[in-house]
Amino acid sequence: MSHIDQKTPPKREDRLGACIAHGGTICEMAAGKGKKSCLQNDGDRSFTQGNICLLLPALAMLNTLPDNVVLQHSAIGCGSCTHSQNANVRFGSNVRQGKPKDAVWLNTAMNETDVITGGEEKLEQAIIEADRRYKPFSISVVSGCVPGIIGDDIDGVVQRIQPEVNAKLLPIHCEGFKTKIWATAYDAVYHGIGRTLLRCGEQSATADGLSPFKGLERLSNTVNLMNVSSMGRIDELELERLLKALGLDVNVFPVFSHPESMVKATQAGLSISTCPTHDDYFLSYLEERFGVPALIQHMPIGIENTGLWLRDVAARFGTKGLSEQIIAEEERELKAALAEFRPLFEGKRVFISAGEFRALATARLLEELGFTVVGIRSFHHDRFAEVEYEKLAKSSSEDYVVDIANVQPFEEANLLRRLKPDLFLGHANGNGTASKLGIPTHVIYHTALAYIGYKGVYELARRLYRQLKNPAYNRKLAENVRLPYRDDWYGASPFTYITKGGASA
Amino acid sequence: MSDNFIERPRYTCAQGGAAATVTALPGGIPILHSPSGCSGNFAWTQNGGAGLQVGGYCGTLAIPSSSVQEREVVFGGDSRLREQVANSIKIMDGSIYAVLTSCVTEIIGDDIKSVVADFKKQGVPIIGAETGGFKGNSYRGYDLVLQSLFKDFLERGVIKKKKRVNLWGIIPTYDPFWRGNLEEVRRLLEELGLEVNSFFLNDDTVEGIRKAGSASLNIVISQAYGLDAAKLFEELHDTPYISLPLPVGASATESFLRSVGKAAKVSAKTTEAVISFEKKRYYHYLEPLTDCFNDLDLQRYAIVVGDASYAPALTKSLADDLGWLPELTVCTDPLDDETEETIAAQLLSLESEYDTNLIFETDGGQVIGHLRNKWPVTTGKYQKTFAPAFVVGSSLDRELALEIGAAHLSVSFPVTNRAVLDRGYTGFRGGLRLIEDLLGAIVAGR
Repeated sequence: MSHIDQKTPPKREDRLGACIAHGGTICEMAAGKGKKSCLQNDGDRSFTQGNICLLLPALAMLNTLPDNVVLQHSAIGCGSCTHSQNANVRFGSNVRQGKPKDAVWLNTAMNETDVITGGEEKLEQAIIEADRRYKPFSISVVSGCVPGIIGDDIDGVVQRIQPEVNAKLLPIHCEGFKTKIWATAYDAVYHGIGRTLLRCGEQSATADGLSPFKGLERLSNTVNLMNVSSMGRIDELELERLLKALGLDVNVFPVFSHPESMVKATQAGLSISTCPTHDDYFLSYLEERFGVPALIQHMPIGIENTGLWLRDVAARFGTKGLSEQIIAEEERELKAALAEFRPLFEGKRVFISAGEFRALATARLLEELGFTVVGIRSFHHDRFAEVEYEKLAKSSSEDYVVDIANVQPFEEANLLRRLKPDLFLGHANGNGTASKLGIPTHVIYHTALAYIGYKGVYELARRLYRQLKNPAYNRKLAENVRLPYRDDWYGASPFTYITKGGASA
Repeated sequence: MSDNFIERPRYTCAQGGAAATVTALPGGIPILHSPSGCSGNFAWTQNGGAGLQVGGYCGTLAIPSSSVQEREVVFGGDSRLREQVANSIKIMDGSIYAVLTSCVTEIIGDDIKSVVADFKKQGVPIIGAETGGFKGNSYRGYDLVLQSLFKDFLERGVIKKKKRVNLWGIIPTYDPFWRGNLEEVRRLLEELGLEVNSFFLNDDTVEGIRKAGSASLNIVISQAYGLDAAKLFEELHDTPYISLPLPVGASATESFLRSVGKAAKVSAKTTEAVISFEKKRYYHYLEPLTDCFNDLDLQRYAIVVGDASYAPALTKSLADDLGWLPELTVCTDPLDDETEETIAAQLLSLESEYDTNLIFETDGGQVIGHLRNKWPVTTGKYQKTFAPAFVVGSSLDRELALEIGAAHLSVSFPVTNRAVLDRGYTGFRGGLRLIEDLLGAIVAGR
């Protein structure tokens, strides 16, 4: 029995041994098996700051689905993050369908009585009412911590109510206290999609071994381009451009795709991930159950990595020669265009913070632009990234710090005060610490901005050039506000509060 | 409205409101006793809904959190909390630490009271509040933090000072205009000769907050939020309170100042002098607007969608200050019957005597249906359409405005599409800002 046959997907710490608490270095992280690594024995922190739980990335995906209602089963606050994600939904639907559209999200607002008596009945009624009021194609029933603790069985509710409603019901498990690795979110959403919208057992095998969804033909020249909302439309277009140049048709999956059309994913000749942190769970499912092979290595961020990514794709379709031509031409054009920015970047020291794969790929990109990496903070660590640490260890002349931390800005503040980098790249809501220290900053992920492929390199370079040309905002801010840490914290080791398994640098 | 869900809730949970409230206190350090994701949820909520304001001195992802996991759910989280608080005090430089519980830690029955009491005994300026999300929304969390502050942080038995007042009733961040709104009311109270502690402004100090019990009067500028805290304050510190509608615009502010003046024993002469001075300036600004206001036909039908403070207050200002026609007022907060009656009473006593329709409806998507009930779509050559119209609401009411062809301004949470720093809509000055913003939206394409 595989994971998808269970009600809930396993958490990443169990499935991949993923960890979040480790103070290390790039060389140590690259050394891989046999060496001391947090993968075997994750650390804990005796002081932690808040971060996100798996519910946030899960909602970031679900909110984009057209004709889908997100029904949050929890206390009233869970899912209020949608207020910012909705901006992405509006922007994304505008660039894709020509009209901004608000997501539809509901909350069962469990109260003290529900906590005592259970919330299943309320959820049942909520599903029925949502189906009648909004008439959606699907309703994602998303559970938060409260039903997880009091034992509401959302799968049971869905099973009972499904015959009474028109909408397809997708149970999605996001009980935040159950996993410390928020990337489990991707598995949770894919799990719901797989079990409901791409239920296997309905497909028929074809002569070439692929088994698309029943009644659909195989499209061997079509590739699934996986996007869990880490790329905006502008980045999708860049990858579509490159894939089309290889003669391929592209099916972007799953963000902004109509739940009814998701079965198209089973027709493709190949699924291509842009980030192993996102997609490995579902790509295994597509491969095992529908015979769609998968590519899952290299993130197409940076010149070298985009080339590696494209070569891998071409190798699967026997178009290696074509890919070499495309890569040579793209690199020639890009390098010429970057020339004017390089003198400003050369030798400037940079600290990078993001989800693991994104941070590492972006670090390599920044090296290509002439920056020197002096530190990386990865939000978690799993085995998929070992190869990326190796790339970076090879390309750097000096060892530097790697902090495996689910954000934890106090460690970052300590590190930044020591390292005094010239530039900081961080995730959304993660640039404030560096800003208050007066360091020029730039956001490492935003769906309205380009990051991916060759165009992404150029556009990112252009933005960094702007930031470095006039970092007055952060500089003045630092002169006038301070971070909320005591002075003696900056004298302590940044990894003082990592206990048990994790090592210090 | 549905009994089973709330559509696009325009707030977050009690813990989220509580955390923003503590962050807004001078040197305030929230310590969440919760799973790891709660503060991130609040960060993204503020990012999307609070007019581009996220956090503060110690807000959002910088907020210490015990980040409880399955282990604590099974074995209890008291010792983890104790460790977290001890280390928070070592690392975080604060003036007030506040432990705030979550759904998870309340259901598992962690005893935060004894943890907080132990640290307090050691001289740590610390309070605790039970703010589990199932207790209510962000407004509830605001009230719970104030209650805890009044109970465990304020000095008891301090001597009353005649002209000293406390001011609250506006929730930090979840009213994106909180700072501007508080500042203008504070300014006007000072004009009346009062000494004001407002807890959350740059002018406020920890010392001032500790001595808040010396106030002779508490002024709550809300008829829905912060009232349980006001009752508790009276019980503990023997200071009476007055609860008044959020004073938006000239007309509301005039009666606000008279009520406060009377309650705070300010002489009628002083109060009338302040009103007269402020009104004169207000109309001095309005005077040159008059040609365009008439020539461009800037009177509008209006739908107001907002929380329990904004919905009636904006309606009143539109009707009584601008001479607009607020046909439908929608209050999106879930409220008890008594509070609903108080809110409704505000709109029955409009100076203009304009006949408005007030509806309590949590789901913004249903507003169009309520409008059609009141104002059916007609056919034929001569149509009494709902135009020209304006929707004053939140960012979530843009689709409604688009559907009925109305201009739109976001005021009530969530305010996604505006940048808000010290702007506010209270008082005479706020009334002018409101007129600027409303008319600015109408003429933007001119």
